[in-house]
Amino acid sequence: MTTAPPQETDSTSSDGIRALPLRTAGYYLLLLGLVVFYLLPMETGFMTSIKTAVGVRESLPFLLPGTDLSFQIPFVEFDVDTMLEQTTDEKWRDAYDTLSRGMVNSMLFTIPSTILCAIFGSMAAYGLTLVKWRGQVFVLALFIAGIFIPYQAVIIPLTELYGFIDLQYRLGAIWALPFLSEERHPTILELIITHTAYGIPICTVLFRAQYQTMSWEMIEAARLDGAGLWRIYRRIVLPLSIPMFSVVFIFQFTQIWNEFLFSVTLIRSSVDEAASVTLILGQLGQAIEGTDFPLRMAGAFVAAAPTIVVYILFTDKFAEGVRV
Amino acid sequence: MARAKLDEVTKIFTEDDGSEVVAVDDVTLDIDDGEFLVLVGPSGCGKSTTLRMVAGLETITDGEIRLDGTVINDVPAKDRDIAMVFQSYALYPHMSVRGNMSFGLEESTNLGDDEIAKRVEESAGMMGIGDLLDRKPSDLSGGQQQRVALGRAIVRDPAVFLMDEPLSNLDAKLRAQMRTELQRLQNELDVTTIYVTHDQTEAMTMGDRIAILDDGELQQVGTPLECYHRPKNLFVAGFIGDPPMNFLQVTNEDGTLIDHSFEYPLPPQVASAVEGTDSLVLGVRPEDIELEPDQSRADDHTISATIDVVEPMGDENVVYLRLADGATVARPDLAEQDAAEGTDVNDAAVEGSDDAKGGIAGESRSTIIATIGGMQHFDDGQDISIRIPPDAIHVFDADSTEALHNRTLQDADAVPGI
Repeated sequence: MTTAPPQETDSTSSDGIRALPLRTAGYYLLLLGLVVFYLLPMETGFMTSIKTAVGVRESLPFLLPGTDLSFQIPFVEFDVDTMLEQTTDEKWRDAYDTLSRGMVNSMLFTIPSTILCAIFGSMAAYGLTLVKWRGQVFVLALFIAGIFIPYQAVIIPLTELYGFIDLQYRLGAIWALPFLSEERHPTILELIITHTAYGIPICTVLFRAQYQTMSWEMIEAARLDGAGLWRIYRRIVLPLSIPMFSVVFIFQFTQIWNEFLFSVTLIRSSVDEAASVTLILGQLGQAIEGTDFPLRMAGAFVAAAPTIVVYILFTDKFAEGVRV
Repeated sequence: MARAKLDEVTKIFTEDDGSEVVAVDDVTLDIDDGEFLVLVGPSGCGKSTTLRMVAGLETITDGEIRLDGTVINDVPAKDRDIAMVFQSYALYPHMSVRGNMSFGLEESTNLGDDEIAKRVEESAGMMGIGDLLDRKPSDLSGGQQQRVALGRAIVRDPAVFLMDEPLSNLDAKLRAQMRTELQRLQNELDVTTIYVTHDQTEAMTMGDRIAILDDGELQQVGTPLECYHRPKNLFVAGFIGDPPMNFLQVTNEDGTLIDHSFEYPLPPQVASAVEGTDSLVLGVRPEDIELEPDQSRADDHTISATIDVVEPMGDENVVYLRLADGATVARPDLAEQDAAEGTDVNDAAVEGSDDAKGGIAGESRSTIIATIGGMQHFDDGQDISIRIPPDAIHVFDADSTEALHNRTLQDADAVPGI
């Protein structure tokens, strides 16, 4: 009975819990343990973020405000009034107010970079996989080498480069347009270019993996049907790589959104007009008087929210894409 | 519709290590307007490469390909006005059947949407897939996908149809059905067609003419019956026909074929045809062999043999015979060629299948196959005589593999295409 597969318990469910094999119970126990293991830090963070300063001091981090452990049954001391007293949404408001500026900035460079990485990566992969030409292997080698360039190695050349190019000065006329500012948008543009360039190699390799499984005969059929290089990409290859686009969107969005080193290098300060969310988050709740843990926790949640939204939006296609 | 001409076309692949492989060697073919030509040969013989050069999917190393007199060597595939049906069907998985069929018209013509829709429905009706137009390829059976692939080619109304083993992914019954349907369709549309297959049955039944390729070289071009009855060399003789022609290794001594177990006197006109060549191969088709149970009626043209296995097919029996003393039925010349082929099979991967019927060499040749009427009965292990009628024999030069004499056909005029 213990060796029976879990499915069988469903058919004998009239027997109730007695029919539950020991092994299945073990699985569920293990799963429960894993759930607790993974969710406990999140839960702790959330509990901390809704506590007042007193609440943080007087209750254990992972328990509700106004709750404390005791040595008498039921081992928990809980009082509704104390709980309400020690609960606040103030930290969330604070975090949101402080971070919203950075969130907008981060959006401004993350979304364009993600889209550009995906488009360029897909086109490069198409040219390197489904089109035959001389010297292809060499170019591919360059792309692959690009994946392995460490961030640390490029930060100095990067600042030198933008110092030399000076987008603020060269594109001066553009920054005078409405909705654009000279203090903010040149840096955003620098970040877009940098993240796009840095993301293209890995995106190319991801798309290439998919394109290598595409049928050559199908591409040849399209050629004989009268479609040129661009039309084959537009009408055959691109529609077939939508699932992979979802994978790349999620992957690149998270990557760029959470990125810190380029932000520090190119924006420099969290009080800069163009400061990214990660840069501001680093400073959030840090003061000479001490660390405001509830504020930092709330800030972390607020900053992570967009990546979660992206996951939810692309989940279906993502699942299809990783199956490729 | 067009006349296609291949003029001394050669294709040489350069491997990564710099070595060169000749895939197609100096092939010249002239395909008439509206003709159905079948390119047939074993895996790796270069037939698919030839087709792909016509399509423009492979560059041409040497020679010219012309379409209605215009050299198309440097015309890109998309501008050649050629439609191709692939072995894997190569349908666009994200498009409906309608999308698959209209794609070519949208890309290669300036027709309006209404005109395209009209043509698609017409062709779909012709292929019997009118009610599948809004389905995706993944929702279709193999046979239906095959029809869509054909429909996609037909709707283009191209100058030339190219078909690369289009039926090999279908089950036997459907394949036989599609074979006739394809012929009917080709007759109806009257479009020049080049059809590649490794299956000699398809070649025999479908082609107006067949071109047999081996190791990149054209062996023979002719009507199916011409190739069957008048093979130019050992390869063609062994490749066309199923079960294949029987071959006996013999020596010629003044008009008599000698093997250590038998002597076979040749009729005078055959003897003169083979005069001066000592090492010969005697060929005879299974259906021409007569079995003589009464060994006392043996004559000059009989050989004693033992029945090994009888395979009843219903309408006929296929009899496997062992010759007395294990007479030499070996074909060292072809065995050698086969071994050499193994190293330079370059487009075997493209052609996919290796169950070529032409695998005559390299295997044990001590068995003779005869097909006899289904009502004649023989037992396994029975000793009998087999008679090889002198007018049904083919004689080949064992060294050059060329045919020196082909069988006589009493009624040659009654057989069209010979």
